[in-house]
Amino acid sequence: MKKETMVAVFFGLLFGSIVAVFISFKSKDIELAKNKVIAPPKEKTSFPNTSVIEQQPLVLNEPADRTIVENSVIRLKGSAAKNSLIVIQSPIKELIINNKLEKFDLEFPLALGENSIKIVVYPKEKQFRPQEKFMKIYFIDSKL
Amino acid sequence: MKKIIQHCYIVSLLFYLLTNSFVIAQTNTLVPSASASTSPTVAVDKDIQQLKDKIANKVSEIRKKNNKAISGFVLSNDGNKMKINNNGEENQVKFDDTLTKYFKITGAQKKEIKVDDIKKDDYAIVSGVMADNIITANVVLVDENFLVDSGKITEINKDSYNVKVSTSDKNIYSLDIETYTKQYIMNIKTLNLERIGFSKVKEGDTVHFVVKKIFSEKNNNYLAIKILIIPQEYFIK
Repeated sequence: MKKETMVAVFFGLLFGSIVAVFISFKSKDIELAKNKVIAPPKEKTSFPNTSVIEQQPLVLNEPADRTIVENSVIRLKGSAAKNSLIVIQSPIKELIINNKLEKFDLEFPLALGENSIKIVVYPKEKQFRPQEKFMKIYFIDSKL
Repeated sequence: MKKIIQHCYIVSLLFYLLTNSFVIAQTNTLVPSASASTSPTVAVDKDIQQLKDKIANKVSEIRKKNNKAISGFVLSNDGNKMKINNNGEENQVKFDDTLTKYFKITGAQKKEIKVDDIKKDDYAIVSGVMADNIITANVVLVDENFLVDSGKITEINKDSYNVKVSTSDKNIYSLDIETYTKQYIMNIKTLNLERIGFSKVKEGDTVHFVVKKIFSEKNNNYLAIKILIIPQEYFIK
């Protein structure tokens, strides 16, 4: 075999092996790229919306349970879900309001002595349960 | 002559000065005037009054701060102290002969009563200063005990005018609707209250009610004073 032929075969084998290695790496990359499509990168992951709509609690800032007052009227101050129905009941008065704003500030009459007052909030979203608060307010006239 | 006049003038001047200073000394030291004798007394009286007012205000402030109110059914009353029971909790009440006042409330009226008029099973509201779990009463009011609650109507008996109500805390109440029971329904459009009869009450409606609670009641069966219906249609719309 001629020397030129030997060199040509050698270079042919070398080139062939380089091409083979290149193709095998390339196919690996293609495979990896395919896998990436199945499991996309974190930053591009979009989870379905699993956040739960929370019910706004009934908060009564004033008055505290078992408060003693010297007036025949008190102010009920607090907050509840917007557009909820608020029902306030005592032995002497019923009050029903549509809570258009979150905060409420309502005047409520008292009888002399013990006043059992129940506040129930019916949320607009019917899937939520009503919320309740019960309190006793004592109207003790200072002139007694 | 001129000298004599001069001497007379000097003597009269000295006399005037001497007598005047003596009078000043007398008024200041020996014979106090009428005004001088009363003014210090008035000032002292004023100070005492101010001090008294200050003490009274302070006492009133402390009383107000420590003032508590409790209520419950009377278990015993011996005229000096009583025991009351409020939902299983027992409280002792001490009476003060000079301070404690007793009233009976009937509707919007109050009538002064005596300590002996408070009987066992009466519902008493006591306001006073609490110390060591004993309340020294300023005021004792004998009143009726009202229960205010709400729930869903689970059963209606049209013959006996009775409804069964299940509350959110799983209590079942049996309410008798009497002729004096005030019955209201909420208009679902206007939210105004309208008077109704028993025939308008339906199973599944929400009801807010007021009943008179008595000590001996054990079966949650009460005479309804007032009912307020929130129709189920309000929650469907």
